[in-house]
Amino acid sequence: MSPTHDHDHAPIEAANEISEFDVLETAIRELAIEKGLFSPEDHRRFMEWAERIGPHGGSRLIARAWLDPEFKQRLLADGTETSKEIGIDWLDPTGTGTPSDFTYFYVLENTPDVHNVIVCTLCSCYPRPVLGQAPEWYKTPHYRRRVVRWPREVLAEFGLHLPLDVEVRVHDSNQKSRFMVMPMRPEGTEGWTEDQLAAIVTRDTMIGVALPRADWTAARSPAATPR
Amino acid sequence: MRRFEIGDHVTVREATTLFHHRTQAYTRGHTGVVVEHRPEWLIPEDEAWQREDGRVEPFYVVRFRQRDLWPGYTGLDRDTLETEVAEGWLVPAEEGMQ
Repeated sequence: MSPTHDHDHAPIEAANEISEFDVLETAIRELAIEKGLFSPEDHRRFMEWAERIGPHGGSRLIARAWLDPEFKQRLLADGTETSKEIGIDWLDPTGTGTPSDFTYFYVLENTPDVHNVIVCTLCSCYPRPVLGQAPEWYKTPHYRRRVVRWPREVLAEFGLHLPLDVEVRVHDSNQKSRFMVMPMRPEGTEGWTEDQLAAIVTRDTMIGVALPRADWTAARSPAATPR
Repeated sequence: MRRFEIGDHVTVREATTLFHHRTQAYTRGHTGVVVEHRPEWLIPEDEAWQREDGRVEPFYVVRFRQRDLWPGYTGLDRDTLETEVAEGWLVPAEEGMQ
């Protein structure tokens, strides 16, 4: 105990423990480099690229679907194939997607009656080719365990309070498919261009823990939150 | 040849989980309804051992009512959860469980 810390508790565990998968990744990477399959520079360059993919592809898909009913139908019917129309090929890992053998992509449409939210309780499956790397919280046991069991409470913690006449539908991504939520187009966006619409379709709205608003983009400073 | 059609009520088996599988504990023993068909895929039990010529089964999207999955569910009766289940994990729901 210190003068500024006057209660006793168990030591707080270091958050930077290395998991078995971290060890495995490092071991395989180093072996691959020793074997000459790729160089450390190749790996660095790849990671730099993979980590900056971002949710722009997903935003583009949703914005276009809001504007073009036929595109929307194609996207809902075959997400994998329709992604190619914006240059994302789930079947070609070295294209603009991230490496993945999980190539069944389904878009989940929110309606006035149904709100969708995605999770992977068994690991951290995420539609990386369209949303980039998953946020840290998405990968935590905390989110994964709780959103299936107490979805309304977890959404409320994100600031999302859904009306009582809306069905909350949790999608636990446990096999080959990857999911993304198509939020409803918010009011106040009439006459907007695809670029304008894409800017308000933020990552969290496509995970399903938030709703898009006409007065909000991910690029805005949080300090400017409109009330 | 698929065993289940869309709309069928199915129960997830309480089967052995000694090795790798991807059938969540919280779904096992619970009944839901088939809402979509998925392709036939290599099942995780064989894929985990890199048996590329392993067993292939039709998969299904099963929708559960949350109140059927969790004791004392605190949300609403209309809340649901969907997940994918391999055919081998499913049996027809018993009478009266629908």
